[in-house]
Amino acid sequence: MDISDSVRRTQPLLGTFVEIAAAGAERGDLQQVIDEAFAAVAQVHRLMSFHDPHSDVSLLNREASTRAVAVHAWTYQVLQMATELHRQSAGVFDVTVAPLLQQRGLLPRDADDPAPAMDQRSAEAAVELLGEGRVRYRRPRTRIDPGGIAKGFAVDRALDVLRQHGLTRGLVNAGGDLAAFGPEPELVHIRHPANAGQVLGSAAIANAALASSGRTFDLLQLSAAGDCAVFDPVTQRPVRGIIGATVRAPSCMVADALTKVVMIVGEGAESLLRRYRASALFVLESGDVWITPDWQDAVRLAA
Amino acid sequence: MTGWIRWTAPAAAVISLSAPAYAVQYLSVGEAQKLAFPSASFTEVQPGRVWKTSSGGIFVLDHVIGKHLYIDYAVSIVGGRVHRVDILQYRESYGGEVRSPSWLGQFVGKTSGSPLKVGADIRNISGATLSSMHVTEGVKRILDAYGHLR
Repeated sequence: MDISDSVRRTQPLLGTFVEIAAAGAERGDLQQVIDEAFAAVAQVHRLMSFHDPHSDVSLLNREASTRAVAVHAWTYQVLQMATELHRQSAGVFDVTVAPLLQQRGLLPRDADDPAPAMDQRSAEAAVELLGEGRVRYRRPRTRIDPGGIAKGFAVDRALDVLRQHGLTRGLVNAGGDLAAFGPEPELVHIRHPANAGQVLGSAAIANAALASSGRTFDLLQLSAAGDCAVFDPVTQRPVRGIIGATVRAPSCMVADALTKVVMIVGEGAESLLRRYRASALFVLESGDVWITPDWQDAVRLAA
Repeated sequence: MTGWIRWTAPAAAVISLSAPAYAVQYLSVGEAQKLAFPSASFTEVQPGRVWKTSSGGIFVLDHVIGKHLYIDYAVSIVGGRVHRVDILQYRESYGGEVRSPSWLGQFVGKTSGSPLKVGADIRNISGATLSSMHVTEGVKRILDAYGHLR
């Protein structure tokens, strides 16, 4: 695709930079469609932000322990996938780790909220989906943060907007969680999880999604901003050993969520990846990279 | 799919690919103004930084700059509230060139129709999430400073 026919824009959303590129219409029309796609991302942000007191997520965290709460269809859809993945991953993917993140100051907490603590682990999901968009928590101290899956969902919604307008090519990249459609594969460089200034390799993405997890970087200082923000719900500690994971999947919501599972269980994610038709690579502290065989042809490591 | 394949990183190979650059010119100032206030006319209040529009809006240009990062962004304010935030230019570089005027100079006059290819020709990046906190804080500062401009 000739890039002179495309429009590429970025807005700060979801706590990161969301970039949208599109082609296949007049320039002015592309600008309008891209505005609409950004609006979809902004709506996901408004619905699912842990920080915004008016979001569905904040409403749930305040009230779902005492009553069934009605949420937006998108919030419900994300929670459906989150509970399905919780079950399929035997509890490894868990949106109820919010209290652990609050304890570490990675998420804010209300002054009138009791000391955050994760509830006793149980095989039963802490979040109960009652149908018709209604949600209830099974336990009083449950707090969710769908940040590990909502960013991917936002990418999918934005890409839907581009598709619905009949564009020939579209790409949405929310700080590294991205999805694309079009006649040509998109080349995506994968940042090295140990150093934002280095490239681990590149992957060709065609009508699929790619997501990565690892430490967060502050590019103004080029420092890794401390601990890994992925927590193992079993040990209740930040993930160790694996410093970064990248997953390719049919949807960005699934790719986003599966990066957390791969960060936590590494090779143990194999059957889950297969179930969701996903491929993955992860990087160990030693610098060694492990990759699923079905993906080795599409990924070029920096050698 | 059976098992995983292990790739042992030769340290030298990774280092040889250091100092990539990622740079995109998304919008010119004029394009950003037109997107924010489509049919308004603009009056410059502070040269190159603050504009008032005929429709009563305010358009502020700002940037964040670090050793490896440079971002130009625009905040549009209507009725004391943030109307929209757009990134005009985004560039990451690890050779320390971000502060150099000649390096910045190559972006002058570029429009969103001509995305830049710098260094390793990196157009899409995946990896650990980069925080947009500095821009978000900048937007708050701008709203405090100019939100009540009439």
